[in-house]
Amino acid sequence: MAHVNSDTCYEVRGLAKSYASEAGPVHALRGVDLDVRRGEMLVLLGPSGSGKSTLLNILGGLDRASAGSVLFEGRDLATASDRELTLYRRRSVGFVFQFFNLTPSLTARENVALVTEIADDPLPVEQALGMVGLQHRMDHFPAQLSGGEQQRVAVARAIAKRPAVLFCDEPTGSLDSDTGVTVLEAILEVSRDVGATTLIVTHNAGIAAIADRVLRFSNGRIHAVEVNATRRAPRELSW
Amino acid sequence: MSTLAAKTRRDLWRIKWQALAIAVLIGAGVAVSVMAYSSQEALQAARKAYYAQTRFADVFAGLVRAPLNIAERAQAIEGVTAVDPRIVKAGLMQVPGLVRPAIARLVSLPVAERGALNRIRVMQGRLPAPGASDEAVALRTFLDATGVRLGDRLSTVIAGRRISIVIVGAALAPEYVFVPAPDSAMPDDRHQGVFWLNRDALEHAADMDGAFNALALTLAPSASQEAVIAAVDRLLAAYGGTPAIGRADQVSNAFLDAEFKELATSGMIFPPIFLAVAAALVHLVMSRLVEAQREQIGLLKAFGYSSFAAAAPIAAMAGVIGLVGALLGGVIGYGFAIGITDLYADYMRFPVLEPRFNWLSFAGAAGVGVAACVAGATIAALRAARLSPSVAMAPPSPARYQLGPLDRLTRMIGLTGPAKMVLRGLERRPWRAATTTAGFAVSIGLLLATQFIFDALDEVLDHAYFRAQRWSDIAAFAEPRDVTAVHAIARLPGVLAAEPVRVVPATLASALRRERMALTGLEVDATLAGPLNDQGAAIPLAGEGLVISQALANRLGVVQGERVLVEITEGRRPSLYLTVRALTKDYSGLSAYLERRALNRLLKEGDIATGAMLIVDPSTRRDFYAALSDTPMIAGASSRDDTVASYRVTMTQAFRSTIIFYALFAGAIALGVAYNAARISLSENARDLATLEVLGFTHGEILQIQLGELILLALASIPIGVALGWALANGVSLAYGRDEMRIPATVTPRAIGFAILVFAAAVASTALLIARRVTQLNLVTVLKTRE
Repeated sequence: MAHVNSDTCYEVRGLAKSYASEAGPVHALRGVDLDVRRGEMLVLLGPSGSGKSTLLNILGGLDRASAGSVLFEGRDLATASDRELTLYRRRSVGFVFQFFNLTPSLTARENVALVTEIADDPLPVEQALGMVGLQHRMDHFPAQLSGGEQQRVAVARAIAKRPAVLFCDEPTGSLDSDTGVTVLEAILEVSRDVGATTLIVTHNAGIAAIADRVLRFSNGRIHAVEVNATRRAPRELSW
Repeated sequence: MSTLAAKTRRDLWRIKWQALAIAVLIGAGVAVSVMAYSSQEALQAARKAYYAQTRFADVFAGLVRAPLNIAERAQAIEGVTAVDPRIVKAGLMQVPGLVRPAIARLVSLPVAERGALNRIRVMQGRLPAPGASDEAVALRTFLDATGVRLGDRLSTVIAGRRISIVIVGAALAPEYVFVPAPDSAMPDDRHQGVFWLNRDALEHAADMDGAFNALALTLAPSASQEAVIAAVDRLLAAYGGTPAIGRADQVSNAFLDAEFKELATSGMIFPPIFLAVAAALVHLVMSRLVEAQREQIGLLKAFGYSSFAAAAPIAAMAGVIGLVGALLGGVIGYGFAIGITDLYADYMRFPVLEPRFNWLSFAGAAGVGVAACVAGATIAALRAARLSPSVAMAPPSPARYQLGPLDRLTRMIGLTGPAKMVLRGLERRPWRAATTTAGFAVSIGLLLATQFIFDALDEVLDHAYFRAQRWSDIAAFAEPRDVTAVHAIARLPGVLAAEPVRVVPATLASALRRERMALTGLEVDATLAGPLNDQGAAIPLAGEGLVISQALANRLGVVQGERVLVEITEGRRPSLYLTVRALTKDYSGLSAYLERRALNRLLKEGDIATGAMLIVDPSTRRDFYAALSDTPMIAGASSRDDTVASYRVTMTQAFRSTIIFYALFAGAIALGVAYNAARISLSENARDLATLEVLGFTHGEILQIQLGELILLALASIPIGVALGWALANGVSLAYGRDEMRIPATVTPRAIGFAILVFAAAVASTALLIARRVTQLNLVTVLKTRE
């Protein structure tokens, strides 16, 4: 077991991921080393195919690395079983997707409850929805909500289990900029409230200023790391 | 190939397993049809050829004895083309290995082969040598059933004289394709022997020099059978003739007719059910396809494709599925027809039975199958044609749901999110839920409708041989005798009880109809047999009141209290009107009962019996039958256990093969419906399920959601399916019912259990397939696609 720093959330070493394809192997990640502190807010930037989403998928327990190790609070996700990965996602991870991924047959309240029903120590559903400003829309079905509202329900759903880590994959990718700002504000607010480490994947460079650190990806590697001395609020951004 | 055609081909390939499941259903419908009609055609052709080659007669008459020149007079009747007078004598025969003696019919061979009717076909060995007095050709089915071989010697008592014969050949005969036991109407090969001897030998043995007691006639195509029968009856009346019958009433031929009718019935009842279910499934699958391809269809129209061009591929795909199914069904149906023909080759005893392919049934069922598929897809195709091009441009929006009536209910019982997903999914698509449930119900119903026949058989046998008749053995006298003969039988070893019975051939007639049958006279206080009412209680016989079966009452169109004309066709042949005092419920044949003494009074005869109903101690049956064989006055004997066994064998043989096929097809329906329903809902839910998996739901929890709907519908369909099965059983019992055997629609818990078990197995195997797919869901790609 590697040395565990109580302040470290992820310790990534030599992480590589390749897929077989007809044209030969595709290297999505070519050796990534990264330490993520607890409570840190990271933005992963880069063009399509640069490896940022692959890293997020591996950190989120959706995919497995081809080589290297990913320690989460001292446990290696690279060698975890399917069952362990499921439990990891259930207990420790919150997800926000580009296309919201709400269950259309459940109301906002029920979409959040879907997660709180299987979590160990969840927030009350009403509180989670209140945190994203949707206390008055709780009994609406996804089809009855705007895109921004749907994404805020998704944020409430992700945060309601009090996850250690919150992953957001292009959370504003399907939204106009005003709505995107509202959603980002919700993400920042709730992750701060529950103390979640937050990783946001985007190809929108305008978002980078809200992060503690910005990781720039290209060709399967982190080619630059920028540390923001002062984080800016989403309201101050423009894209 | 145009690009659109390539797209259609690939779309079809993508849903290949669902398409195959539908094609299998269409195939099942076509196969059943082809199987039923092809095997029927093969049998009909074999029988026709057999009858033609052997010159099977058109009219049959029996009599006590007439000189041969009477046959020449029969030849002179207008419309008669050939006559064949014969001697037919029956006696009991001890056969090694049989406890109960067989009934041996000795038949004279024609003197000249030319002009002979009902010719036998020697399959093995040879005919008796000219002049040989003790050589005989035996019915092959009897030899096969008893293990008696060529060269074996057997003996029987005819007219008080013991005759010993050597078997020199094995033959098949058109008259004896099936030889029913005298009192059961079901074949019993072991105990029904037929032996052909030289005429000289039989004349001598039976004291029938220059005489005959059976007459077969063929008619000119234009002749009136009724007129000939009437003339023959008049001619033979003076010689103890019993009414002549046409080919339709000849026992063996009638049995074959009933078999053929069953095959035709299955070809009529089952294929439409399969095709209807297939059409409904095609509709479901194509609707889903249109829904999943809304944007692509909109895009095509935006590019300038016409509505027709957008809709045609849907119909084309359905047509291809139907066509593949029809071809599949044709091949499978032909395979099954060969299989069944093979089985029937053993069972039907035609010398030559070759498989056929009934093109008409194939073309008809295939046409209906393809049409059903296209019709099923039409609504989906029309929906595709109506789609506005703008849907291609619209942003993806989640499926619309709203709070329905179920929500008030679900709130009350506090269901979890996954349970609500299942219920709202059903509520949102009630038509699909209904179709799936209906498909399941049809499957259960079909399973039940094919299973109940075995229970029905049990009920028939229990009713006939344990409740209505309670004897263990019955002995028939060669001719009517004084009732003291029964007392003599009662003194034979092992006989615990004996009661006389008098059976006379009679025609019962009402204003509209006539039925030929046997009238049974029983003691007032008979304990070994008697008619039962609907509730199963004995109906007492009294005086000259007649008790007839409900089947007979229906045939004659009479009700309780009305009078029927009874024409006795034996002895003095009196005709008299008797009142129907009560109706009895039974399952086989046409029956009429009267008090025996009253019957004798009406016949103006003494205290006469024609046989004895007996209870024989099972441990001394062998001794009893040894003694009975040596009793000259006995012409036949049957035992309940043998009769019941032969019923089972015959009915099992008749139904087994078809029933296995139908059970398989019913299972295929359950599979096809379950697989399609589950695949459609999986394709709709894939994103939801992957999202849930990302959110930390286990495979088990996700499967509960995905399979919850299937399982709910399967459960809901069980009561409907059982009700449908009951209705189908009633339909089948009506359609399959024949005179020898009316099948009651008895649906037992055993049959229901079996149907549900097979159904559950089919649904469970689908569930396993779906479970595999769910565990293979690719989380990352599912999340990256919009819909």
